[in-house]
Amino acid sequence: MEKLAALWKRPLFRIGLGLFLFLVLAGAVGGIYLTQIPPEQPIQFPHAFHVGVGAQCLYCHPGADSGPVAGLPSSGKCWGCHQQIAKKSPELVKLAGFIERNEPIPWVPVAIQPDFVHFNHQPHVAAGVDCATCHGDVAKMKTAEPQRGQNMGWCLDCHQKMRPQEFLRLGDCATCHY
Amino acid sequence: MTKKLSRRDFLKLTGVSAAAAAVLTGCGPASRYVTRRPYQDMPEYNQTGASTYFATTCMECPAGCGLILRTQEGRAIKAEGNPNHPLNRGKICPRGLTAVQGLYNPDRVQFPTRQGRGENSPQKLDWDTATALVAQSLKEAPTQAAFLLGAAPHHLADLADEMAAALGAPAPVVYSAYGWLNGMATLREATSQAFDTTRMPYFDLSAADVVVSFGSDFLEGGLSPLAYSRMFGEMRRNTRVRRAKLVVIEPRMSVTGGAADLWLPAAPGSEWLVALALGGRVAELHGKAAPGPFNTVSIGQASAASGLAEEKLEELAVLLAQAQTPVVIPGGSVLAGASGVASAQAALLLNDLLGAAGSQFWLSPVEQPAYSMKAVQELIARMNAGQVQTLFIHGVNPLFDLPAAFGFAEALQKVGTVISFASFPDETALASDLILPDHTPLESFGYQRVLAGSAGEVLSGAQPVVVPLHDTRASLDVLLAAARLFGGSVAAALPYTDEFDFIQQKLLPYQDARQGSITAPEILTFQSIFQQKGGWWNVAAPEIPEARISANLAGAVERAAAPEGKFYLHLIQTQMGDGRGANRPWLQETPDPMTTVMWNSWVEIHPETAHDLGIKDDDVVLIQSETGQVEASVYLYPAIRKDTVAIPFGQGHTALGRYAQGRGCNPAELLSAGLNPAGDLAYADTLVTIRPTGKTRQLARLESRVGVYGGGH
Amino acid sequence: MAEEYPQKWGMVIDLDVCTGCNACVTACSMENNVSFIGEDENAYGRGMQWMRVQRYWEGEYPDVAPTRQPMLCQQCGHAPCEPVCPVFASLHSEEEHINVQVYNRCIGTRYCANNCPYIARVFNWFDYDLPSPLNFYLNPDVTVRRRSVMEKCTFCVQRIKHGEAAARAEGREVADGEIVPACAQACPTEAIIFGDLTDPESRVSKLTRSQRGFYQYEELGTAPAVVYLKGGGEYGG
Repeated sequence: MEKLAALWKRPLFRIGLGLFLFLVLAGAVGGIYLTQIPPEQPIQFPHAFHVGVGAQCLYCHPGADSGPVAGLPSSGKCWGCHQQIAKKSPELVKLAGFIERNEPIPWVPVAIQPDFVHFNHQPHVAAGVDCATCHGDVAKMKTAEPQRGQNMGWCLDCHQKMRPQEFLRLGDCATCHY
Repeated sequence: MTKKLSRRDFLKLTGVSAAAAAVLTGCGPASRYVTRRPYQDMPEYNQTGASTYFATTCMECPAGCGLILRTQEGRAIKAEGNPNHPLNRGKICPRGLTAVQGLYNPDRVQFPTRQGRGENSPQKLDWDTATALVAQSLKEAPTQAAFLLGAAPHHLADLADEMAAALGAPAPVVYSAYGWLNGMATLREATSQAFDTTRMPYFDLSAADVVVSFGSDFLEGGLSPLAYSRMFGEMRRNTRVRRAKLVVIEPRMSVTGGAADLWLPAAPGSEWLVALALGGRVAELHGKAAPGPFNTVSIGQASAASGLAEEKLEELAVLLAQAQTPVVIPGGSVLAGASGVASAQAALLLNDLLGAAGSQFWLSPVEQPAYSMKAVQELIARMNAGQVQTLFIHGVNPLFDLPAAFGFAEALQKVGTVISFASFPDETALASDLILPDHTPLESFGYQRVLAGSAGEVLSGAQPVVVPLHDTRASLDVLLAAARLFGGSVAAALPYTDEFDFIQQKLLPYQDARQGSITAPEILTFQSIFQQKGGWWNVAAPEIPEARISANLAGAVERAAAPEGKFYLHLIQTQMGDGRGANRPWLQETPDPMTTVMWNSWVEIHPETAHDLGIKDDDVVLIQSETGQVEASVYLYPAIRKDTVAIPFGQGHTALGRYAQGRGCNPAELLSAGLNPAGDLAYADTLVTIRPTGKTRQLARLESRVGVYGGGH
Repeated sequence: MAEEYPQKWGMVIDLDVCTGCNACVTACSMENNVSFIGEDENAYGRGMQWMRVQRYWEGEYPDVAPTRQPMLCQQCGHAPCEPVCPVFASLHSEEEHINVQVYNRCIGTRYCANNCPYIARVFNWFDYDLPSPLNFYLNPDVTVRRRSVMEKCTFCVQRIKHGEAAARAEGREVADGEIVPACAQACPTEAIIFGDLTDPESRVSKLTRSQRGFYQYEELGTAPAVVYLKGGGEYGG
């Protein structure tokens, strides 16, 4: 105890400790901030434009109403339309580059769940949950943006509100965690 | 002491803050380092996040069971049984389950290599160069080419047959440790003696009420463990009749013996006497005259020779006499001795005497292949005489699974070019000139004719479930390419464009037959259904020919008791199969069913014998035979004859990757080159001595584990 | 509706048919991403198998015979592991009537393993990483556990969930035998039968009424969901 008190009297120790706490806090704030902004994507894909010209969500994410994973479109699917469209923007040149090199596009997932959460799109779509409920209004987004506060409380809250009579099932740990 | 913030401290602090961020945000930032790479062109059958299932054939052992592989995003996730396949009907064994650990094994041979017989550092080749080297070696002496093949896959063996004939070379030599461990050549000889045919015997347990096994460990070893396990389950659940009884006669309790109602450790070599005495007594109880050899041996004589109590044999005879649907199965080590043919013949004839022929006992339409260790010895003699210029090795690992006494290693030195098609760096591959890695079975097309396990005819089909992982090539394609480079009559005799085309040509007769599980108007439809369903089958069993009851049994000799201080060696068939399972970590970690030992070899000794020798559990002993010696830890096994010791087969690799290498001992070192009259390895006649080494090495056993903290029992 | 009467999953293990071949053990391990840990760790008794086949010798040579008991989490109705967990990582699923282990809650106190009479729980003493490309076969439906997490048999809850979701998507009830855990699916002799105990006509319900049936450590009052059928003897006819 005395040793600690002696340490506390040294100004350098106080400064060091302060610096340490500041760094921890800064790291945490930075980390939280990182999860709230859209990540850097290989191509600045404009969702707003595609939704605007009438593309349905299910056209590019066909698994959403039939399986656990919505899925990303194959680059072949992008190219199906875009090889007939003039590559005016630099983003489309990038797409052409991926196609030419026969490389998959390394998308960074935005709506991501940890390994221990098993989310299944199909029952949610079947229950009439709109895509925008969880993914935000992508018609107003350029690249996909992460949505705030998507934690377990948020899941359970919705489960309870939408289906109180089925909450035994929908509030069960094993519904998502296995 | 002044506090100075060094660079190192600063880095530590940033690390802490990153960790804090990770904790506070539930690892959020980690997702920024994850990328998803979608398909360039998604196959139409595929959906992200949903599984796709493919039917194929298991090649982990030669039985030919049907598999369904669950794949997702182009990866093979899990092997499951094919519910429609007539052999296993959706069931699967540990070997099949771990097939994906072979496919994704980190120690695979990833590209063609000039191995230089393990002396030089391996050199990477491209496939064109490799194929040219094969053709060049063939051109040097086409008639001196030799093929040494395993019992699977059969489509490659068929091509090798045609290629050897085209080259004017001797016919391919086929063997497998499954074959010699189960005495396949002996069974063939016995069938031919007893029924004048070489069709494959099939024993239908599903409706049997008494089953007597003479040495056959049909549930774990045997020639078709899954088919027989499935039928065993059906037999025990069959409540229309009295609960079925299983009687097993063998020197060391196998998994089958463990499931038996009556286990009889007869002296090895005396089984034919027991079978004859039982037949005679059953006929007597039925009030009939015992035919042929069955009246030559009394229960008393059999008891004296086998060391089994007379009451036990009488009990068994009464059980058999009262049985409605009995069946007798010969197999395993009982066939692998000097009197093996006699024992198998006596057991087959006993089926006929008990009226099992045509109800529980069948002869399938499939001919038993003439696998014989004699042919292997002849090949080794040719190699020693310098008459082999090019040796192709596929599906076997002779430096591991042949007795060292065969001298294969020395003979290999006299071969011009040794070409191994191994997918894994096994002992033989490392001693080859070239390793031209084949795809693993889950990446390959192929077919396998089912020998045991079905009364009818089954051609099990294999297809790739994932794209090849490495720069490997189908061995059949390599041989075809080499034949094309060779040119002339050889190229003309093999007019197939590739492996797929070859298989299509071989399916033509099945399509023409218009019988069996697939009818299709033309071959492409036939082949696609063949792949989709996992094979073609016609399970109708043909008639059984009349039994030939001769007065004498071939090769009926009584074995002498083990001399003082010596023990008979028994080989245990384990989930490692012929040794290829040793590089599958989950086969290593799955406890042995009888001893619960994992990841190692052991030697089983009867507790009283061990006590007499002053040996305790886990003591390391030296096991010596006339031809070699190995060391292993002792497992005190209460269900083994006192004059016998047993060692599992399949461990003791000096190669084959990180999971197999340097683990346990290889009992093939102990075996002599002696053959029985049918040309099978007489391994059951091997005598060994046991000497303590003073060392102790604990075996990893499940049975000592109680709770996560160890200790206990 | 299934919502009003939640199903109770149960298992029957017929010891008369079990040959002790261990196919269930391998199948479970391959399905559930169970780590293999090597010889030395196994010798310490840290094996990760979620199920094991216990082999006991009975009798003296030559009348010696093994008895086998496949042992796995009994999915107790009154589970001793549940009340001792300080963080509610081991708790009861009211929906499926199984005991679930929530890996992300588990802090590794190992109280649950200490309290389990069946020794059905295993602990990740270390991180057991798979060398590439062995990790390619990992089942994406099952969480890969890290160090310091307790784990155990889940009755292949991922298969139950998938089966239920598939049935619900098609607007029907789950058929008997549609959902099978990996062990029951593999079992070469069909010694392991799985199904819904609330359906009196299911195959598993019929078998639980067998005269040969017994529970492991019934006297402890744990109300297991696994019924064993005694082997040997005479029956039928």
